[in-house]
Amino acid sequence: MARRSTKPRELRRQPLFTWVSWCVLGVLYAPIAVLILFSFNDNRAVMSWTEFSLRWYGAALENEGIRNAAVVSFKVAAIATTAATIIATMAALATSRGPGYPGRSAAIALINQPLMIPEIVTAVATLAFFSILRQVTGWTGLGWLILAHTVFCIPFAYMPIRARLADMPDTFEIAAADLYATPWQCFRHVTLPLLMPGVLAGAMLAFVVSLDDVIITLMIAGPGETTLPIYILGQIRRGVTPEVNAVSTILIAITVLMIAAMFTLQKKRP
Amino acid sequence: MIDIDNVTKQFGEGAAAVQALRRVSLTIPEASFFTLLGPSGCGKTTLLRLIAGFELPTGGDIRLDGQSIGHLPPHHRPVNTVFQSYALFPHMTVARNIGFGLEMQGRKPSDVAATVNKMLTLVRMEEYAARRVDQLSGGQQQRVALARALAPHPKVLLLDEPLSALDLKLRKQMQGELKRLQAETGITFVFVTHDQGEALAMSDQIAVMSAGEVQQVGSPEAIYTRPRSAFVADFIGDTNIVPATLLRYEGGRAVIRFAQGPELCANAASDALAAGPVQVALRPETITLTDAADPAALMCGTVAESTYQGAATQLTVRLETGPEIRVEVTDPPSPGARVGIACDAAMLQVLAD
Ligand SMILES: Nc1ncnc2c1ncn2[C@@H]1O[C@H](COP(=O)(O)OP(=O)(O)OP(=O)(O)O)[C@@H](O)[C@H]1O
Ligand SMILES: [Mg+2]
Repeated sequence: MARRSTKPRELRRQPLFTWVSWCVLGVLYAPIAVLILFSFNDNRAVMSWTEFSLRWYGAALENEGIRNAAVVSFKVAAIATTAATIIATMAALATSRGPGYPGRSAAIALINQPLMIPEIVTAVATLAFFSILRQVTGWTGLGWLILAHTVFCIPFAYMPIRARLADMPDTFEIAAADLYATPWQCFRHVTLPLLMPGVLAGAMLAFVVSLDDVIITLMIAGPGETTLPIYILGQIRRGVTPEVNAVSTILIAITVLMIAAMFTLQKKRP
Repeated sequence: MIDIDNVTKQFGEGAAAVQALRRVSLTIPEASFFTLLGPSGCGKTTLLRLIAGFELPTGGDIRLDGQSIGHLPPHHRPVNTVFQSYALFPHMTVARNIGFGLEMQGRKPSDVAATVNKMLTLVRMEEYAARRVDQLSGGQQQRVALARALAPHPKVLLLDEPLSALDLKLRKQMQGELKRLQAETGITFVFVTHDQGEALAMSDQIAVMSAGEVQQVGSPEAIYTRPRSAFVADFIGDTNIVPATLLRYEGGRAVIRFAQGPELCANAASDALAAGPVQVALRPETITLTDAADPAALMCGTVAESTYQGAATQLTVRLETGPEIRVEVTDPPSPGARVGIACDAAMLQVLAD
């Protein structure tokens, strides 16, 4: 009692706080827990538990539709992530190194702005824009989807890279220049290694965002370009199947691993 | 030899402009230990950054052995810097840090390794070659920073207050070591400090700076015994600045008179001062105390305060003309005693401003 009165304002000691926290966490994670649990259920009827089994994982891996969707998803995510990370790294360097220039803060705002625009708006705009481009160029294929993913991944990759760069004093780069490093050598041997945790964090964020995307993909993807989330969406329309549970669980596992890795990397300070 | 020719540096524009350097001209001799000394904000770091190429001059030029380098990027100047914060690359070992400059110059790996070993020996860090730099103490990091800057054998080594992060004992030791390294390598060292003791102990030449201007350049001895201005006299060591009257010049020396006592022939910072009131610098340790009635006494006063300092005692004497002066003696009179102040005329310096 005495202890409680010494820190009356501490949030953790407020009477309802613990209870509310558990409720919020419960609401957030209970559905996911149920989904994961039932992905291991040896039963086609989704709502009644019979026995633990991995048969739906097996079935998912043998399902041609799922395999194709997974290939498309990872191909798009890998290429889009690489391109977006390279562009975001260059953008971060241009907006936080070297002498200031007019319009620098405007540039930063412009790069971050897409995060604030509702995705459906971006999706519709991209669709309209791309259909013009498609008509003009006559090009078809997965490239358009990859391009769209690259573009919306850039601000996600940019955030952690720029944060890391802003935290990093430029004395190391000055020291490198003093020791005869050309601007490229300086970037290659000093800036990039020190920036790497930020770059990897940005890449992982971009990867996860690309892997999860539904709305923009739905608009842009052509025939035969079904990604995993789109495939799942299609299946769900016909009712939740345990296969979908299994695929979703795999996606969750990948996402969680990525996010965990990102946090570990961001904690590593130079 | 570095020629700093009329260099001006301005930061910002318009109302917010800061004049960090105003028409600074200096010649830094080859293979010397040259110190930039001055109070905080006087432009020492700015001048160093201009020599290194991290900033470009607003006006004027910098020449190294006759060649203009004022507008070259840093990686094209044969000049290396020891940073105040050391700025060792945290993702490299000690050895790679030291070899970095050579590597960037494209030397052969075998050359790099050989020079790195030589440098490790030079700064006595042989056992630490494979260590990460964040596992080193402040003094060790300092040595690595020195070795890294010396390894490419630059024509000029710039050191920006490299000792200020060290404790007193280590600092004394590193002062000796820097001096030794300078002599052994024959590289021109340009050393920045605001510690006058350090400057006097280490330098071949000192440039005293104030508010973006060079006040005086000279050997430590010349700066100490023949300060040109009240600023320099005051900044370098303990000094008294006492009013006197300039009567005339005689054979290049100034004939002056204090409140009382005889006419004296003193050194003068300038031979073009008008006769009349002048300021004279008088070091506390050159003063002797005599009887107030002694005809040799230049002024007299009463002892106001006495501070025992071990080897000597520092007295504060309140002069009859008003100001207080500090005196260092070994057999102090008691406070309240009336004393005369005498001094060897060769130790007096008439200040120019
Ligand atoms: N990048 C800058 N932008 C604006 N003003 C600056 C900049 N760098 C230095 N100055 C100003 O120039 C003047 C000289 O600064 P400088 O760093 O050269 O001083 P210093 O002699 O090295 O001082 P200290 O002993 O404190 O390191 C200061 O008034 C400082 O505020
Ligand atoms: Mg400084």
